[in-house]
Amino acid sequence: MAEPAAAVQARSRPGTFARAWAKAVSGTSFLPMTQEQLEALLQRLTDDLAAALLAEPFDLRPGHRVGTELVAHHIASAEGLGRTVEVVQLRLVRDLGLVADDVEDRMARLLAAVATGYARALRDRTLDEQESIRRAVMKARTQAERALRDSEARFRHQATHDPLTDLPNRVLFTERLTAALNEPGRGARRVGLCFLDLDRFKVVNDSLGHQVGDRLLAAVADRLRRALDGHLVARLGGDEFVVLVEGTGGTDDVVAVADAALAAVGEPALVDGHELSVTASIGIVERQIAGTTPGDLMRAADSTLHWAKAAGGARWELFDAERNRRELARYALSAAIPAALERGEFYLDYQPLTSLRDGRLLGVEALVRWRHPELGVLRPDSFIGLAEETGLIVPLGGWVLAEACREAEGWSAHGGSAPFVSVNLAVRQVHRPGLVQEVRGLLERTGLPPERLQLEITESTMMSTTEEPVRALRVLADLGVRIAIDDFGTGYSNLAYLRDLPVTELKVAGEFVAGLRAPAVEPASRTDERILASLVSLAHALDLTVTAEGVETARQAERLRAIGCDAGQGWHFGRPAPARRILERIG
Amino acid sequence: MQRPDWAPETIDIERPSVARMYDYYLGGSHNFAADRAAAQAMVAAVPEAPLMAQANRAFLRRAVHYLTGMGVRQFLDIGSGIPTVGNVHEIAQHDAADSRVVYVDVDPVAVAHSREILAGDDRAVVVQEDLRNPERILAHPEVRGLLDFDQPVAVMVVAVLHFVSDEDDPARILRTLRDALAPGSHLVLSQASDDGRSEEERAEAERVYRRTDNPLWVRSRAELTAFFDGFTLVEPGVVWVPQWRPESPDSAEDAERAVFMGGVGRLGG
Repeated sequence: MAEPAAAVQARSRPGTFARAWAKAVSGTSFLPMTQEQLEALLQRLTDDLAAALLAEPFDLRPGHRVGTELVAHHIASAEGLGRTVEVVQLRLVRDLGLVADDVEDRMARLLAAVATGYARALRDRTLDEQESIRRAVMKARTQAERALRDSEARFRHQATHDPLTDLPNRVLFTERLTAALNEPGRGARRVGLCFLDLDRFKVVNDSLGHQVGDRLLAAVADRLRRALDGHLVARLGGDEFVVLVEGTGGTDDVVAVADAALAAVGEPALVDGHELSVTASIGIVERQIAGTTPGDLMRAADSTLHWAKAAGGARWELFDAERNRRELARYALSAAIPAALERGEFYLDYQPLTSLRDGRLLGVEALVRWRHPELGVLRPDSFIGLAEETGLIVPLGGWVLAEACREAEGWSAHGGSAPFVSVNLAVRQVHRPGLVQEVRGLLERTGLPPERLQLEITESTMMSTTEEPVRALRVLADLGVRIAIDDFGTGYSNLAYLRDLPVTELKVAGEFVAGLRAPAVEPASRTDERILASLVSLAHALDLTVTAEGVETARQAERLRAIGCDAGQGWHFGRPAPARRILERIG
Repeated sequence: MQRPDWAPETIDIERPSVARMYDYYLGGSHNFAADRAAAQAMVAAVPEAPLMAQANRAFLRRAVHYLTGMGVRQFLDIGSGIPTVGNVHEIAQHDAADSRVVYVDVDPVAVAHSREILAGDDRAVVVQEDLRNPERILAHPEVRGLLDFDQPVAVMVVAVLHFVSDEDDPARILRTLRDALAPGSHLVLSQASDDGRSEEERAEAERVYRRTDNPLWVRSRAELTAFFDGFTLVEPGVVWVPQWRPESPDSAEDAERAVFMGGVGRLGG
């Protein structure tokens, strides 16, 4: 059944051929259109092919166009072309009733043109799509690399910054400090550090809570960042900050930074409705880059910060190499005490306490010595202070007490009572719970009569408000142990404790006695003499004996005797010496 | 196994990508040798593979056409893949020029390609997210920027849910998406189904997809129907995709060869 001439019916409803064509290519690839749209498209192409077959002169270009259009409309698979060639070859002429002399010849050439146009278009499209997907891969890679760089940068920031203040942290600071020392910029020869710590920050945390504390830290960080623009400000942790000052010309440059930092911290901060005033302490170190290390600088600045704190805070201190050296030596010395105790490097000398009335040896004060393997014999003033700071005074003082009791027990009296031994007790020893037991045990073990042991305590020992030390001393006094107040008159001098304490003796500090060396006509000398006289009469009124320390001359001894002082101690009566030398004198 | 946020993403074209395999099934050339090798292996196991991709794509086209007809103007196409022929925005904007479309895919290459295709269209964007993070998709600034969740949105989860394992709880994912939608919104869902498949064919298909980054989780019609919890299925319900509102009766013949089942559900009102 032939259809009317194609040209007439063109672009109306799809004819039999177009529908057959549509059916042939359906399913060869995904076609983003409805069946209706597909048939309409193929009807249009059918018309073009029909017209081309009959056209004079014969022209191949419509064949190319049809091939190209098929691909453009996504009828773009190998099967799509095969089925198209098949259906056109078999049915086009017949279904449309086309008549021409050379129609077979024209059909072959036209189909070749369709196939050529189709293959070219498909090849172009394939290449385009390959290019486009490769471009997408490159873009995705670029994107992924950027994301990686960003996340690395974010990681690095997190790893090198403090989350609370967003200041650089210790890691970054150490990096920058190391770089400043290893690769100083533009010929910089010197570098400075400010170690900054808020004064009494703990009070803010404890009284207002950590949240307020944290906000205060953030506020301080902001101000430091603003005030010290251009210098690296880092938070080391807690309330500790550090500033790196590069390329300094001398100490003054860092002092200026420290002043600016103190001023910035000092402005009152409004945090959660609290107006907070904080101060800071700063340790400054500034020195040549050559020969120093980050560790040296940090340690020096840290020590210096502690000096500023110890001096009361709200200030900066400059690093002082000599002071630092002394402190390090002291530190080394205190660290060596436990081993020295174990190795028996300590020993005791004794200094006589002599009656001013009859010159008799009443007692001796035990004085500890350290036979240091490298430094030689050390006197107590070079290590007792340290031992007190570190708490090593407890074992050391315990050893002194035990050794003194052990030695004193062996001293026999020749024709009179044997001298008592006077031992200094540090504050920590008096405040220790086991003191009574320790002393009682020692007396029992050594067999030393309690009245031959005198314990010297300082006024400051009694400054504590706790009851326990007083009770312990009273128990010891009840045992018969003598209690002396050492350095009386130089410290606290609150006489109230004399009422409560079972004290047997006052030892008057050497300062008052020193005045007695001068002739009695000098006003200062007269004043000291009057103070001493008052002390003696006070003591006697309380039934206490008085020993004057630091008696160096016969004149002093004479004047003390005249005042009524009971006993004297000092070079005039004998220097500290081993027990047997002292005892020879009474032998 | 999801890539943690901090882990760098690798773009490896030696590894088959399901998005590019799908493009190959549809006759596209947006693919590489590894994709084609995997796709050909799939065709050897399941000869209908190209057919099913085409059928699914046709389902997508009919579904979008249906939705624009229902007045829906916002589309969230999750698992959109390589934007080959017949994209949602082309169909939707052809029907209604003011249609807005957000494409979501986890494949960075697919996203980069989509971005290039969409350049110059301010009513269509693409974001890189994983269907398994529906909260992140919903909170994404570009999603929020283009779509108004107080108005109906069509969420398209087409040919992607079979890459989500049971452990990743697809029902929870769909619930999360549903809870963000206004009445009148729709869910368009299709995925590979094993209804009527032999054990051998299923095993072979799963073997092929195990070589990709996305193993295959085929599910039954009942399971698919349950995914529409909270939605009212529009006629004809969950069916083989060629059977869903076909344009001509004969195009639904041999429908189960399409492997994919799908449906459209409407939310509330």
